[in-house]
Amino acid sequence: MSESEIQIVKRDGKREDFSIEKIKSAIRKAFLSVGSFAFDENLTTILGRVHIDDGMSVEEIQNQVEIALMAEKYYAAAKSFMLYRQHHTEDREIRNKLEFLINYCDAQNPATGSKYDANANVEQKNIATLIGELPKQNFIRLNRRLLTDRLKEMYGQELSDKYIRLLKQHFIYKNDETSLANYCASITMYPWLLNGTMPIGGNSKAPTNLKSFCGGFINMVFMVSSMLSGACATPEFLMYMNYFIGLEYGNDYFKHAADVVDLSIKKRTLDKVICDYFEQIVYSINQPTGARNFQAVFWNIAYYDQPYFESLFGEFYFPDGSKPDWESLSWLQKRFMKWFNKERTKTVLTFPVETMALLTKDGDVIDKEWGDFTAEMYSEGHSFFTYMSDNADSLSSCCRLRNEIQDNGFSYTLGAGGVSTGSKSVLTINLNRCIQYAQMQRIPYMTYLEEIVDLVHKVQLGYNENLKMLYNKGMLPLFSAGYINIDRQYLTIGVNGLVESAEFLGIPINDNPAYTGFVQEVLGLIEHYNKKYKSKEVLFNCEMIPAENVGVKHAKWDREDGYFVPRDCYNSYFYVVEDQSLNVLDKFMLHGEKYIKHLTGGSALHMNLEEHLSKSQYRQLLRVAAKDGCNYFTFNIPNTICNDCGHIDKRYLKECPVCHSKNVDYLTRIIGYMKRISNFSAARQKEASIRYYAHKEGVPAC
Amino acid sequence: MLKYTDYDIVFSEIPDETTLAINLSNCPNHCPGCHSPQLMEDIGEPLTQESLSLIIDKYINGITCICFMGGDNDPKEVRHLAAFAKEKYQGIKTGWYSGKQELPSDFKTDSLDYIKLGPYIAALGALKAKTTNQRLYRLKKDGTHEDITYQFWKH
Repeated sequence: MSESEIQIVKRDGKREDFSIEKIKSAIRKAFLSVGSFAFDENLTTILGRVHIDDGMSVEEIQNQVEIALMAEKYYAAAKSFMLYRQHHTEDREIRNKLEFLINYCDAQNPATGSKYDANANVEQKNIATLIGELPKQNFIRLNRRLLTDRLKEMYGQELSDKYIRLLKQHFIYKNDETSLANYCASITMYPWLLNGTMPIGGNSKAPTNLKSFCGGFINMVFMVSSMLSGACATPEFLMYMNYFIGLEYGNDYFKHAADVVDLSIKKRTLDKVICDYFEQIVYSINQPTGARNFQAVFWNIAYYDQPYFESLFGEFYFPDGSKPDWESLSWLQKRFMKWFNKERTKTVLTFPVETMALLTKDGDVIDKEWGDFTAEMYSEGHSFFTYMSDNADSLSSCCRLRNEIQDNGFSYTLGAGGVSTGSKSVLTINLNRCIQYAQMQRIPYMTYLEEIVDLVHKVQLGYNENLKMLYNKGMLPLFSAGYINIDRQYLTIGVNGLVESAEFLGIPINDNPAYTGFVQEVLGLIEHYNKKYKSKEVLFNCEMIPAENVGVKHAKWDREDGYFVPRDCYNSYFYVVEDQSLNVLDKFMLHGEKYIKHLTGGSALHMNLEEHLSKSQYRQLLRVAAKDGCNYFTFNIPNTICNDCGHIDKRYLKECPVCHSKNVDYLTRIIGYMKRISNFSAARQKEASIRYYAHKEGVPAC
Repeated sequence: MLKYTDYDIVFSEIPDETTLAINLSNCPNHCPGCHSPQLMEDIGEPLTQESLSLIIDKYINGITCICFMGGDNDPKEVRHLAAFAKEKYQGIKTGWYSGKQELPSDFKTDSLDYIKLGPYIAALGALKAKTTNQRLYRLKKDGTHEDITYQFWKH
């Protein structure tokens, strides 16, 4: 092959005709820089050791030149050549960073500008968010190195290399690789109640009254969140607040909430005092946070019906020996929800993400009062999740993850056992690519998937070893102080592209035996491995990840590589989000027991509706969910926010009802929390616009 | 004979109910500006006790009401199928969206819980418009009825 027929691949992936002169020139420069000169015969012997093939990369050629210089014993020139390459590598990195910096500054919003981890949880881009973006690439490298070093030690080089290869070829995706911290946790606040924040590195003592509880709670949530990469759930928040209100105003305080209890000239009632504390906590926690690159903390809370409450906290004692009081807590939960729903018409409040936990029996909720109240809140336009179970054996720790509870018992140092749970790390399988690749290679896709599923479990065990190392070195005070129980945290296997892979196989995406069989087969395999790798210290679960940015990335990468990609963002649901042939009941069925039973880590049905239903209709849908075994869901009706006058309306409107401006934006829920659609990344906005909202309009004019 | 083109689960056609709405074709009314003009044609599959049961069986766990959208070409069959559904599915409510101003003189309403009457007149609007000529009635067991059209105007 003559020189002119050979092409090389540049660093940017472009091909270029190979030129021997460029190599000669680089070698001459290396000689000159060390005070010597490269004659033609030197060049001939050096180049005699270099073999150029068509399609070879610049890096490979330079590696060969380095080796050739060493082999010919031109050590000084070789060293100079290496240093020259290193210098250029560093230059390129800085150039890339500068380019990124400029692009980020010019991007439409922070989620579109972010290169590595598009997150809508940031309102506006500024110097603080930019500072957070810049080191992300370094974190990815560091995390990969930590993990591959561990994998080599545990399983050998081959598995470690395979992990990186699958990651780079997008068969799998490591979530939250830009952070060093473990993922999300639902914490027990008992250690805080006993010892304050000192054991986790703070300086405040245990709360003693309502005021110190509310102020201290905010600081505690900020501290905990700065040591997690994902959500911080405080499922006992209202129960503890109720306790402190009771300490000051008596357990029957709710019976005289209208009494004036404030002797200042404001003469506030007890109800107003309580709502002012809600305001202080919620507004503070929704502030951008310095320690989290100007993202707000991701805060979740839970509400319980009476049977759920009793099974979680039936054995619970506060440090003073008293027990939580259901009657007043029931009132406080309702008061908070009503207050929060109303407050959200004044301003965009993203957090807390709320989950209503309801216990069910025989196709309905057991606690009718709380079932009715849940329906009432949905009908009043409040946006929250409902988690249903026929057994208080699990809890949601995050906007989507559910976790089985290992132990509902109570401990005098750690409090309620059931609330301490969460996920250490999520590693996701791109099912669409894996299944299509297997078909192309003529391998049964289950055989190929099994290989991938086995590998991700091993990788997660490697991650777990690294986490233990950090723990043993005292780097994880949340664990050592008892806020999180490391043994009750899950290693999570995520799945993405499930619907798309079924579509590729020609399976119709509706409730039919072929689809049920496919879903159970694939998710059943993962569950099988979850059990196989379970041990005294590790637990696995499987979740359908919310595809906020991974779904977009997978669709893009798979399309670029020629795979079948039916949409720009892979679904986070068991149905095709834009499919208008499926009605509301079909969708509940597709998130019912048959489909989710192997999805031990959960997935929330986001039921998109154009308009709010009445209380009795929502109540009926709670029954539907209980009957179908759809355990986690929310209703999603876009709220309208006027860009001109700022009015927020719970309805989905084309025009502002106050100032009649048509310049309106919508708040919707994409991965668990409410955000303006214009804050989502460009690809996600597109998904939101084609998402099908089951219409309620159009009384036929027959 | 009645024919249907498709069905859906709807929430606003009958207030407070979760309704399986079945769209019937061959509509004789031909209202100008009709929302679903394709339903004027003789299209779709026959709606019989068997085909109706198949649809209801799929959704019986979730619905509270079945509503026939149209069917003015054969009101007796609407009543017949409504009676059949009530008999077979205990506790289910039934509704009928008719485009006529009045019920046929000999029509028995005993197997219906809701009846919508009135043609669509574009200038007056559909049920959501306060100016509408259409009316939705809730039929009570004692044979009386209540005009519940106002429930569409809550927002």
